[in-house]
Amino acid sequence: MVGLSLGEKHFIQGGIAQDIRSDGRKRLTYRPINVETGVIPQANGSARIRMGATDVISTVKAELGKPISLQPDKGKVSIYVDCSPTAAPMFEGRGGEELSTELSVALQRSLLGGKSGAGAGIDLSSLVVVEGKICWDLYIDCLVVCSDGNLLDALGAAIKAALSNTGIPRVQVAAGASGDEQPEVDISDEEFLQFDTSDIPVIVTLTKVGRHYIVDATTEEESQMSSAISISVNRKGHICGLTKRGGAGLDPSIVLDMISVAKHVSEQLINKLDSEIAAAEAGDDES
Amino acid sequence: MEFVSPEGLRLDGRRPMEMRQIRAEIGAVAKADGSAVFEMGNTKVIAAVYGPREVQNRTQQINDQALVRCEYSMANFSTGDRMRKPKGDRRSTEISLVIRQTMEACILTHLMPRSQIDIFVQVLQADGGTRSACINAATLALADAGIPMRDLVTSCSSGYLNSTPLLDLNYVEDSAGGPDVTVGFLPKVDKVTLLQMDSKLPIDIFENVMQLAIEGCKAIANYIREIMLENTKQLEYRRGI
Repeated sequence: MVGLSLGEKHFIQGGIAQDIRSDGRKRLTYRPINVETGVIPQANGSARIRMGATDVISTVKAELGKPISLQPDKGKVSIYVDCSPTAAPMFEGRGGEELSTELSVALQRSLLGGKSGAGAGIDLSSLVVVEGKICWDLYIDCLVVCSDGNLLDALGAAIKAALSNTGIPRVQVAAGASGDEQPEVDISDEEFLQFDTSDIPVIVTLTKVGRHYIVDATTEEESQMSSAISISVNRKGHICGLTKRGGAGLDPSIVLDMISVAKHVSEQLINKLDSEIAAAEAGDDES
Repeated sequence: MEFVSPEGLRLDGRRPMEMRQIRAEIGAVAKADGSAVFEMGNTKVIAAVYGPREVQNRTQQINDQALVRCEYSMANFSTGDRMRKPKGDRRSTEISLVIRQTMEACILTHLMPRSQIDIFVQVLQADGGTRSACINAATLALADAGIPMRDLVTSCSSGYLNSTPLLDLNYVEDSAGGPDVTVGFLPKVDKVTLLQMDSKLPIDIFENVMQLAIEGCKAIANYIREIMLENTKQLEYRRGI
């Protein structure tokens, strides 16, 4: 919970109205993004993203599984978010469950597309080893270590970075298995396949405070919001998912306006994130 | 299985009395009052301290001392095989309790009546000795939060495999089924505050194994002191003194 006095609230709202926020940023400026990859050696891929005081870790673990019968040519991806009590005493015990679920579902909606698997940021058919029999199941686990607002954008960026860092072992399928038998596989521990992560969208959350909206809101600013829209946009500028939060209603024309702003902001964010990920990967390889 | 080779080396290449590489960092969680990361080899934990602050649940308030609370949680990705366990299983409840009791013993709770101190430990990577790593991280986080303590409590584990006492067991050695002695130690007053062992050991060997763990605790205490001194120097430098 954020305890703010009346004066502080006015200061935050007034700053946003005048396009200079409490930390000196403009309305559409992000905090500096710090990317670290390969932080969890046990996982197939991992990344830690820090934006100001917000600190999240995302890991990817791949396991061999069976595709569901309705989609024999697609692998499975699931996203789980866990809010650590280290981030806020509020998350103690089961306290973080509600927020964790909200974030997991919002991320799934933004990054994985619909139920059919169409429109997913990751090419799900690349996860199939033998059609209808074996596929890779990707488990994306995120942990919120420290929370200072804008968790969804940070988690989205962390997942993108973690997937860029992920190597899926190459699999040799033993020939000769026929019919309904489950073929035997040989997992290589030397050769790894990398993902094409360029299509994975980034999430831009626009938080509406007063008459204006801002990106990358801190906890204090989020406490003053009337509503927020999280829009996921890919490199081509396509909208991949949308979530509206907060109680107050929005005029449809404002929603469209916010989407076009988000699209504009996402271009800069994608470029910045890509260069940060590339820098982190390069540093990771050297060490 | 052979845990100590004829040349006297362990599975990960250490000598029997050698500790894993330790690393500590103060101030990992920006929003907490005090926080620290502690690594012992591949085991990595984060601790965050909130408080002393107003007691959240009035019925728990203690009138002559501070209320200390602790929660231990493991990240889904912390173990080799991915797991999804519900929060508050018996193992984490027990470790939470152990950490709470150990920390409570060294915090000067009588100086902060009617207040509450929350310690949260989060395991990022588990490779044996999470209990010890959590206590060490919690000590650093409490010191970072500026909470008055009797001493810096540190913890280390030791075991006994292939008739050799081993310091600081990793996951493979820990799951070998041999005895695992975890010691919490106050280095300045030279007192043991936590002692746990499973499996069985003859008394004279137990004495050696425990002594080995105590030596480990002392080494960690020296390291923690160095880190804190370094941190204080940094703070001093930033203030421009």
